[in-house]
Amino acid sequence: MKPLIIEATEDTPMIHFHPQEGRFEISKSSLPENAVEFYSPIIHWLKSYAAAPNPITIFDFNLEYLNTASSKQVFEVIMQINNIAHKSDVTVRWHYDTIDEDMLGLGTRFSHLVNVKFEFIEYDSDDALDFE
Amino acid sequence: MEGNPNNPLIDLAYRLFNRIDDTDFEYIYRGNFSQKISKNLLALAETNVKDSAGRTSLKNKIYFVMVEGLQNVTKHRDKDETDIDGTPDSDGMFAIQKNLGHYYITTGNIVKKNEENTLKPKLEQINIMERDDLTLLRKEILKKGDLSDKGGAGLGFIEMARKSGKKLMFDFEPVNEQASFFYFRTEIPGNDTTEINNSFSDESKSLDDVKHLNEALDHEKILISFNGRFNRENTLSLLSVIKGQMNVSMTSKKVYAVMVELLQNISKHTSDIEGDKKNRGIFMLSKKEDTFVLTAGNLLHAEDVPKMKDRLEFINNLSDKELYKQYDMILLDIGSANERKTGLGFIDMRIKSTTGLNYIFKDINAQNTFFVLQVTIKN
Repeated sequence: MKPLIIEATEDTPMIHFHPQEGRFEISKSSLPENAVEFYSPIIHWLKSYAAAPNPITIFDFNLEYLNTASSKQVFEVIMQINNIAHKSDVTVRWHYDTIDEDMLGLGTRFSHLVNVKFEFIEYDSDDALDFE
Repeated sequence: MEGNPNNPLIDLAYRLFNRIDDTDFEYIYRGNFSQKISKNLLALAETNVKDSAGRTSLKNKIYFVMVEGLQNVTKHRDKDETDIDGTPDSDGMFAIQKNLGHYYITTGNIVKKNEENTLKPKLEQINIMERDDLTLLRKEILKKGDLSDKGGAGLGFIEMARKSGKKLMFDFEPVNEQASFFYFRTEIPGNDTTEINNSFSDESKSLDDVKHLNEALDHEKILISFNGRFNRENTLSLLSVIKGQMNVSMTSKKVYAVMVELLQNISKHTSDIEGDKKNRGIFMLSKKEDTFVLTAGNLLHAEDVPKMKDRLEFINNLSDKELYKQYDMILLDIGSANERKTGLGFIDMRIKSTTGLNYIFKDINAQNTFFVLQVTIKN
């Protein structure tokens, strides 16, 4: 399956889904006004991947900001990941800044609404490059 | 929580928004000036000038005056850090306005009395000189290489006067015995050279207008006020100014997140407003001690008001637990999101706010209502 690589812009995240490398990552900020438009190809790609996934799939969510339009779409992404879990050993690694209780809270709420393994990984904002 | 009638920020938002007929945009920043902030301010101003200024030479003029002005403010900031420590209100201000086709760039910063005494005669002299004389003076200064340690010699002022072709506007507002607040305002006539007839029509009125504006904003401790068109570029520029200005903290993350929602709400709610007022709105961020207040105002179609009112009232009356439940329900209702509206925005802002959502609806005419939404975040 062809990888899905989308570079980050000022208001859309970096997407790096590469089954051969075993890397599935969404990072940076997501605040487009029209989130449906941005996420629909991603959801489409995941639907295809769900047909023949790797035995193990680890998704890294490393998001700095999400507007509410994106929250809804990121949850749709997680619903697709939920489907992949039928054929693959799936883990969601939800990275969050130590000070960002809202990002942790959002990940926690997402995890309660699906049947996927979630790991919460804290990082220190002092190491963050973007927000100084 | 609707409509605290004594909310001065909401009154101010309405008052500023009402300048809409004459004002194409009005952007004011007040606070600390650093290199980084200057860069972000230039980006924001450039976005708006790009939208509205046709000729390249006009754009270049505006850009030149902005850069010079911002450099004056940052130069003084460096000095003041050691010299006038503890002077109240030692922060600067920067404003760019487009009013009936003409551009106005204003800077404000603290200067010491001795600087005032050097600056004032220089500026007065420039103002009585004709363009040709200014050109000669410029040549002379460049030849002599007579530059002060800060690259001064008034060359910047001479250049601004030449680019503007108008009198430089300035005033020194006493702060205390040692210092004054130095207002410096340049008009750059737009492509349409018809004389304007409004509060900016003569120099003293024009200067007074921006002084009153700055005082009103100071009174409410406003860091940023933007009255203009809310599109993607402006939204991102405003966000980067704020992002560059705040330390990383839980509060700053909440402020940023709420700001995103408010700015995008303005553009969403006004996308179908007719004519010039499409996408128009006002956004203000104020900080009093440890409390941030974000205020956003825009027009709505009058027929959308009852639904919006009900929604806000409903959300304000929910307990924390019920808020999260609503949030999850919207998440699980797959496919309900259309491209513009998820219904999560108000809920998320309510969760992040300290006091609930504050709002007013003010009828303007049969078609339109002015809507203000205000979110308070305490540290």
